[in-house]
Amino acid sequence: MSEYLLLLVSAVFVNNIILARYLGNCPFLGVSNRLDTAVGMSMAVVFVITLASAATWIVQTYVLTPFDLEYLQTIAFILIIATLVQLVEMFLQKSIPTLYRALGIFLPLITTNCAVLGVAVLAIQNEYGFVKTIFFAFVSSVGYGLALILLTGIRERLNVAPIPVHLKGTSIGLITVGLLALAFLGFAGMVH
Amino acid sequence: MRDLIKMVVVLTVICACSALVLSFANQATREQREYQVLKYVKEPSIKAVLTGYDNDPIKDRVTLKMGTDKKGKPIRKNIFPAKKGGKVIALAYGSAATGYHGLIEVMVGIDINGKITGVSIMTHTETPGLGARVVEPAFTGQFKGLVLSDALKVKKDGGKIDSVSGATFSSRGVVTAVRQALESFSKIKKEVIS
Amino acid sequence: MSVAREFTKGLWDEIPPFRLVLGLCPTLAVTTAAQNGMGMGLATTFVLLGSNVLISLLRNVIPKKVRIAAYIVVIASFVVIVELSMQAYFYPLYKVLGIFIPLIVVNCIILGRAEAFASKNKLLPSIADGLGIGLGFTLSLTFLGAVRELIGAGTLFGRYVMWESFQPLSIMVKAPGAFVCLGLILCLMNWIGAMQKRRQG
Repeated sequence: MSEYLLLLVSAVFVNNIILARYLGNCPFLGVSNRLDTAVGMSMAVVFVITLASAATWIVQTYVLTPFDLEYLQTIAFILIIATLVQLVEMFLQKSIPTLYRALGIFLPLITTNCAVLGVAVLAIQNEYGFVKTIFFAFVSSVGYGLALILLTGIRERLNVAPIPVHLKGTSIGLITVGLLALAFLGFAGMVH
Repeated sequence: MRDLIKMVVVLTVICACSALVLSFANQATREQREYQVLKYVKEPSIKAVLTGYDNDPIKDRVTLKMGTDKKGKPIRKNIFPAKKGGKVIALAYGSAATGYHGLIEVMVGIDINGKITGVSIMTHTETPGLGARVVEPAFTGQFKGLVLSDALKVKKDGGKIDSVSGATFSSRGVVTAVRQALESFSKIKKEVIS
Repeated sequence: MSVAREFTKGLWDEIPPFRLVLGLCPTLAVTTAAQNGMGMGLATTFVLLGSNVLISLLRNVIPKKVRIAAYIVVIASFVVIVELSMQAYFYPLYKVLGIFIPLIVVNCIILGRAEAFASKNKLLPSIADGLGIGLGFTLSLTFLGAVRELIGAGTLFGRYVMWESFQPLSIMVKAPGAFVCLGLILCLMNWIGAMQKRRQG
């Protein structure tokens, strides 16, 4: 139990996938302008990362490793993720239209979100078991959502603040993320 | 319908070509990749346990099949021979035993007469400041010159080795790993030299 | 546009990630030292060039509906080739770049160039585009790496270059430094862009 608690604190705060591991930055800066889009994106990311890590773990353990095909990991994982995102999109559209309306537009963006592939590869590298992989993927993506929503809050305030003209847009966005990362650095040392 | 067939055919051909190229690339680089991993992971410990050789022990490594693991797959073990003027003077290989917390992996160098030339700890997860001090030369240096007939035990168990204070379990783990390495030496020597 | 123009646009007008803000993850993650930035840049350039060449050659064969899947397979194959050869010949760099080598697959610059350029242009302009954008990316990463290494550790390509009493600001080689540094460089690029525009009238 304490092991899982440690993993939770580590993945959400200490090794936050955006602020400490630098994964998934492109959509991070793209969708952090309005709170409702940020929440939608976070939910879609949590959903896809958890599913994708479970799927890639199964393929790695039962297909790639037994047949000595580890060198195909990258290509296999990215195809699984792309297919999975497509399937999820079709499934949601047909059976849960309300959820599709909330998450639908973010799904295609997620295929090229390196956080998905990143978390899947990290789980394999850390040699987690199946349950631990799912847990790790879930808490990591919750950390992603947390950072995304925090940043969006700050950026909504920034919109009405007087900012030097050349700093506007991505520039001030990155500096804000930097300060947020600095705050999260305060958690470093809590978990080794 | 024709579109669909074209889509499937094109994608299949692209995937097949990619698989072909990649399996070729995998074959072509396999040897070199294995060598690099061993060079960066094992070479520091090999250098620490062997002296006076003029070959590249990693390049001249011999892979032996030693028993089978739980799933019935053969366990492969790399033996790194030190040679001088083309003659084997010593062998280095890994060995492992449980310490206080997890596995301790050691590299043991043994000369052709079965005398230990050096011991180096490769990986361990012992407690920092206590069990982790088994990596210090003050501890590992004690093994130099010992042979199988010497009492390869910690002093507490009636042997020759001073254990690190406060870390009997970690010390015992290292001693066990070294003893196991020595025990398999005569068999390994026969296979490597023939 | 001429082939030469396709090449040079990547070095200034559309230099990633400073003008074309794409591919941020590797940009931020591996630029702790100039050398690492350069290694990442060159690896990306190789993949970009390879995928641009193949996709440009196959542009009339690949059906429109499955083009993204086809592009991903092509890009991922080149990434695996880079991964294997880096492990075989540049092992220390391979260790430093770690997970960010397989992540070249999802670098939006590469898929972006495949979709926006190589799938619509002949072979020669595609090569020029790939080389230009790739080298621009390499230059940017090396520059960012150099700045962070200089301030964060006082070294440049591993050699100590600062004066004796210099106190390295180690936050620069950690995550916050990466974000703030890139933010400030983007600001500088905006300023230079505005200056250029004003001069042209």
